[in-house]
Amino acid sequence: MTSRREAARLLWRTAAGAVRGRPRAASAVLAWSLLEAVPTAVFGRAVAQATDAFLDDRPVRAAAWLAALAVAAVVGAYGSRRLYLALAALVEPFRDDLVRAVTRGALYRSLRGRPDTGAVARLTHQVEIVRDTFGGILVVARGFVFAAGAALLGLATLMPEVTLLVLPPLVAGLVLFGAAFGAAAIRQRALVVGEEEIAERTTALAEGLRDVVACGAEDQVRERLAAAVDAQAAAGRAVARFAAVRALALAVSGWLPLLVVLAAAPWLMRRGATPGMVVGALAYVLHGLQPALRTLVQGMGGSGLRLAVTLGRILETSAPVAPPLPPVAEAPREERADAPAVELRGVTFAYGASARPVISGLDLTIPRGDHLAVVGPSGIGKSTLAALVAGLLAPLEGEVLVAGRPAGDPAARVLIPQEAYVFTGTVHENLTYLAPDARDEDVVRAADELGLARLVRDLGGYGATVDPAALTEGQRQLIALCRAYLAPAPLIVLDEAACRLDAAAEARAEEAFARRPGTLVVIAHRVSSAVRARRVLVLDGTHARVGRHADLPAVSPLYRDLIGRWESGDPDRPSPEAPGTAGPEGPGTADPEGPGGSQPPGLLGDPDRVHPVPRADLPVDAGEVVADRPDRQDEVLGDLRRRGPA
Amino acid sequence: MTSPTTAGADRLLVGAARHSGGWTGLVAATAVADALAAVLLPLALARAVDAAPPGGPSAASALWPCVALVLLSATAEVLSELATGCSAARATAWLRHALVRHVLAVGPALRVPPGDVAGRTVGGAAEAGTAPSAAPEAAVALLPPLGALTVLAFIDWRLAVAVAVALPAIVLLLRVFVRDITASAHRYLSVQGTIAGRLAEALAGARTIAAAGTAEREAERVLRPLPGLRAEGETMWTVQGGVAARGLLTLLLLQVAAVGAAGAELMAGRVTAGELVATVQYAGLAAGFGPVLTHVLRLGRARAGARRAAEILEQPAPADGDAAVPEGRGTLEFRGVSAGGVLHGLDLTVPGGLAVAVVGRSGAGKSLLAALAGRLADPDRGEVLLDGAPLPRLARTELRRHVGYAFARPTLFGETVLDAIAFGPCRPPESWLRESARTACADDFVRRLPQGYATPLADAPMSGGELQRMGLARAFAHAGRVLVLDDATSSLDTVTEVQVTGAVLDRFGDRTRLIIAHRAGTAARADLVVWLDGGRVRGRGTHAELWRDPAYRAVFGVAEPAGAAP
Repeated sequence: MTSRREAARLLWRTAAGAVRGRPRAASAVLAWSLLEAVPTAVFGRAVAQATDAFLDDRPVRAAAWLAALAVAAVVGAYGSRRLYLALAALVEPFRDDLVRAVTRGALYRSLRGRPDTGAVARLTHQVEIVRDTFGGILVVARGFVFAAGAALLGLATLMPEVTLLVLPPLVAGLVLFGAAFGAAAIRQRALVVGEEEIAERTTALAEGLRDVVACGAEDQVRERLAAAVDAQAAAGRAVARFAAVRALALAVSGWLPLLVVLAAAPWLMRRGATPGMVVGALAYVLHGLQPALRTLVQGMGGSGLRLAVTLGRILETSAPVAPPLPPVAEAPREERADAPAVELRGVTFAYGASARPVISGLDLTIPRGDHLAVVGPSGIGKSTLAALVAGLLAPLEGEVLVAGRPAGDPAARVLIPQEAYVFTGTVHENLTYLAPDARDEDVVRAADELGLARLVRDLGGYGATVDPAALTEGQRQLIALCRAYLAPAPLIVLDEAACRLDAAAEARAEEAFARRPGTLVVIAHRVSSAVRARRVLVLDGTHARVGRHADLPAVSPLYRDLIGRWESGDPDRPSPEAPGTAGPEGPGTADPEGPGGSQPPGLLGDPDRVHPVPRADLPVDAGEVVADRPDRQDEVLGDLRRRGPA
Repeated sequence: MTSPTTAGADRLLVGAARHSGGWTGLVAATAVADALAAVLLPLALARAVDAAPPGGPSAASALWPCVALVLLSATAEVLSELATGCSAARATAWLRHALVRHVLAVGPALRVPPGDVAGRTVGGAAEAGTAPSAAPEAAVALLPPLGALTVLAFIDWRLAVAVAVALPAIVLLLRVFVRDITASAHRYLSVQGTIAGRLAEALAGARTIAAAGTAEREAERVLRPLPGLRAEGETMWTVQGGVAARGLLTLLLLQVAAVGAAGAELMAGRVTAGELVATVQYAGLAAGFGPVLTHVLRLGRARAGARRAAEILEQPAPADGDAAVPEGRGTLEFRGVSAGGVLHGLDLTVPGGLAVAVVGRSGAGKSLLAALAGRLADPDRGEVLLDGAPLPRLARTELRRHVGYAFARPTLFGETVLDAIAFGPCRPPESWLRESARTACADDFVRRLPQGYATPLADAPMSGGELQRMGLARAFAHAGRVLVLDDATSSLDTVTEVQVTGAVLDRFGDRTRLIIAHRAGTAARADLVVWLDGGRVRGRGTHAELWRDPAYRAVFGVAEPAGAAP
């Protein structure tokens, strides 16, 4: 919302759209509004006639008019009651539309970036504001039109010349109000944004209070917050100034007509108006026009601004509702039965135009049926590689093929990320998320294979509803793993998907996956994953090497380091396969290298019992890995090449 | 209602009123003027109407009081809007400044959850800020209805009685509304909560959903309870419609009754036509007890907000001294320190310039010791000295310049990644900041961010390990005499951990380094190990010396009998 008119235009578009989209509800609103306005139209006339009747000493006639007014009141009340039902039929579907837009918007946006769970609460809250205010405006603005219209109509039938006197100040005030509306919306928006900023900064301050104090940065933080607070106070004063303008508009259009009628009263009576008629005209102004105006100015002033501002923000944040990725292009090449499971050709990827590439010039071929573990320090690009293989990220250069076709087809691969997704639904629904057609016995078998049976029993069986919040991270990961296991896709990518399981449970799950037909890529959290894999891909930031667990230490210092640390019995990384590394023999063997320092780094975890000394004739998977730069020194393995197979 | 907080809240409101300057006075003045005009205007109207018939009293002279009162009322309303808003803005800002200042003064000892601090500073202060204007408005809001009844009685007592009888019906109406709408709103909110919960779930699983291509299915699942929401929403409209209809009917019937009663008096010659108009006006005014209720509710909310703010302001803030840190190499002394029910009479001297690892089982008070070292917490008994000076005697800035911290889960501040490293009492040159990042092994991943060091912090999602490296870089950039690493490398992968610890040992070799460690490897590389157990120092020496004790080995989870290799 950048221009003054935009706020009003947005309101108008929204209201018009909501009304046009539901013509039946809109005409019902129209009809009941007319009925609701009946007492307003009758009021002045009835008071006029009754007053004159009282003055003429004709109480029966006066009573009849008052009775007529009472009947009109009952009719109006009935209309009012029905009117709200009709309004519900306009507002509630509108709210439904907004909830849908916000949900889809948040969902699709979070698929492309980081999930923003804060947005949920905020957007739900904002949707409610819009519902309240949109409903409020329909009540207020529509109410004003009908009430003012009815009062003017009644006035016109009572004393047409008075109507002409009343109209100019009324219109002038409304114009003033309308003119200030857009500018006021901008101030109000500043207030809302400022409030959010203060909330954000205070939360950050409170959460990081220890850090602020420990860094001695109190003054810096205080000054920033103080600036935000002062800006907010200025915004508050600006809003108050516009509230004053609103009050001025109300005074012009509400009080001036009254004075005009009073001033004209002697002249009107000289022209034959009865006292009752003057009283009636005043009644129309005081009890028809003025209340209608007051509700309009206050209602539209407060809630109208809130609606314009909040709706603007909702539309800003939920506008782009588009699929997260272009749909997979119609296969430019036929799926080849002999195509490798995954093929990366000269793939380069960076998270921004000026960012250093995370992956550069990577060639990698993963044959069908392979079991590949990817290891490397945190932040080195392992998850990026997983996302590229899954087609969730598109490479800047090069191409990624899955079974000979561009990556990204959900039917061709399954990616299970570290943060396991379990939703509120039955256990069965959660497990068959990727395989809706799975047979019950397959589900049970999969759960047994992965060691999930006990959890299912504890949860109350396959038909029981899961409360994700009540599960531990490890339990959620087990469910997600079982889901992947059941999926029909031939390629499974596990991105640290078992990192919250204990080492034994992780081993069981990975072994189950290894037995499952198809290709398995494991982004390893523990080096034990690499030990189990058929081949290992080591990423160290400059090089990428593939080899067998037994062979890699000879060529990759990083890998040597990783397994060395792991085997030295670092208590943070327990290792079930290396039981002899738990600690020193006893007192007196302490070593500055730590509890396991007395053990020479070895390869006790090697399941193949292959001697770790590199040999020139090592069997290697030539032509599958490459780094961004060939490294002559390491070509002992001969596995580094610039180009993949042609 | 004599709790210190309540008294504090009221004192706070008085303070807020004082600081909202002349605006609060203006609010009171305009409220009184507006109420006076509202009460007097119908009388003036009556005179003007009665002067209208030809041959009566001078019409012009009867009109002027109306003009004057209308002008007064309009001016009061315009000024009131301005004054109310400005007084609230100033009072709120004053409260917020006070809160922020105090929160920073109290520091980590603050016993209020973080979300709550924001809630009190934003919502609480804003509500309390309305008090200076709400109080006079609430007091004055009683004037028009009371005045209306009084004047009505003055015109004709029968009219006043008729109106007074009709009033309880209106009060009853309001109560029904509040009850009905609350039940229905509650159900509505619970359906809405279900939808929000499902959306939150789905957002947390965004990566899975993106990979599975099931976004549309998820959207449908999230939105499944929507019809229920609509049903509850419609119920709320029905309730509101009922209330609106009753309200309309009540007001109209009240006015019909007023006209009827005044008409009868008119017929009897006891009132004039003008007074009939005034009677209908006064009936409306007298029914206006609603605004009184609104103002009283507002005042109640304002006091609640002030109480919430006062709860923060009443937390004691540690007093600072003004002494400079004496010459020295950063020797820390703990003398008979008891704190948090965890440390009991701990005596410890950390020699200056050494790397000292603090180890112990979880819950042994290691982090508390770290906090005490730089006065992030004060001991209950005993004292902590830096180079001979008790910490409370030192000026805050002095202390911070000499004692730096890195934490297990640091919180970063600043606009950009570079700002986050520079965060501190002063801003070191950029080259030094980058150097610090390199030392902390943060340079590598920072340069992979979309805009490198200039990447806005909000656009730089970091893993636990990356966050720790940023925290280390920040500590390195401002390193003074003492560097406290509170489990600051726990999320780093093994290789990086070795590099960072190496840097701490080599590059900062002349500083005192207090390293809270969980890994045996870290303890092994320190010059000295302090072993905490049962709130006291159980052992002191090199890692190799202490390792002989099986109980010490047990601290690192090395089970007995250790080394039972197959």
